[in-house]
Amino acid sequence: MLDQSEVIRYNRQLIIPDFGEEGQRKLKESHVVIVGMGGLGCASATYLTVAGVGHITIVDFDTVELPDLNRQILYWEEDIGERKVIAAQRELSRLNHLVQITPIFTKVTEDNALGIINGAQVVVDGLDNSATRLVVNSACIKQRIPYIYGGVSRLRGMITTIIPGQTPCLACFRPEGAGGLGVLGVTPAIIASLQALEAIKLLIGHSPALAGKLLLFNGDDIKFRVYDIKKNKNCPVCSPTALRQ
Amino acid sequence: MPGFSELIIVVNPTQEVTREGMLSIVMPWLYAPWPYVREKGIIETELDGDTLRALLMELSARYKAANVDFQPINPTTNDLDFDYDVLVNGKNYITLAHGLDTKLKDGDEVKLKMLWRWDG
Repeated sequence: MLDQSEVIRYNRQLIIPDFGEEGQRKLKESHVVIVGMGGLGCASATYLTVAGVGHITIVDFDTVELPDLNRQILYWEEDIGERKVIAAQRELSRLNHLVQITPIFTKVTEDNALGIINGAQVVVDGLDNSATRLVVNSACIKQRIPYIYGGVSRLRGMITTIIPGQTPCLACFRPEGAGGLGVLGVTPAIIASLQALEAIKLLIGHSPALAGKLLLFNGDDIKFRVYDIKKNKNCPVCSPTALRQ
Repeated sequence: MPGFSELIIVVNPTQEVTREGMLSIVMPWLYAPWPYVREKGIIETELDGDTLRALLMELSARYKAANVDFQPINPTTNDLDFDYDVLVNGKNYITLAHGLDTKLKDGDEVKLKMLWRWDG
């Protein structure tokens, strides 16, 4: 049930056909985990918070540094040196005090990944390296929690929505590519906004548009290319053989 | 090729392009210009020119004709697009004396990879 202040606060999305009060109530009862609170995580957390997701867990092991400020929009100059998850929790709570924000200051590893994502309806990718993404991907497949991969560099970005048992997972592709190539701030904002949209659709029971599809964003020519993708029958993580082990 | 994340192409004397080494098809659009490839596993095409650039341009044109927007050569820079990497016989094209204009010869192995994004 939504109270009067919530009906007023969320009015602009409550009047969207197929969303309405039921959609808002589902968001309110949801728990999302955002792993990584950099450029992607800051933007997706912002939109999920203002949309009214009931509980958001934010995970990061880092502190705010000056080079973060070109894209990590939840942090201010006075936050430099502070733990990102604490600074982000403060700002997100200022945006919407109705949302429970749980900060976890830790590095995601194979040992703790399952515990971190436990209880979430959706895990949103805000990481900055392939190794940790593959750890989270594997944990999400094991726990059967949807994982919305997003990655960026320079003016390019990618996103796919991974539904365990239905769509390819990240490991299906044996993905390659370097990190640390530089990022323009608007690129993660674009990709993270799409991640938040996919998360909201999943949470309210709508079909995610990027399940079984890979979206490539090119900021140079402002093109969105969307390709169909299929599961790798020999995937080391999500194939039936791998899951039996 | 985009996706799996690589397609190994062998240019042989009869101008055939052969797909090898894929464990399963995860990018069905990859075969859009050549539906018969699903059965045969061999792409047959003729190249306009004999360079790496010609091969990539040809592939792009074939995909475009099949309504797949695949553009490994960036039209602005006229170089390999930032989303891809290409190797000839295991060597990155950047290390080759003539780069994308390297002439291909019979038996050459061209590997085109899509690069994933890992920053955040």
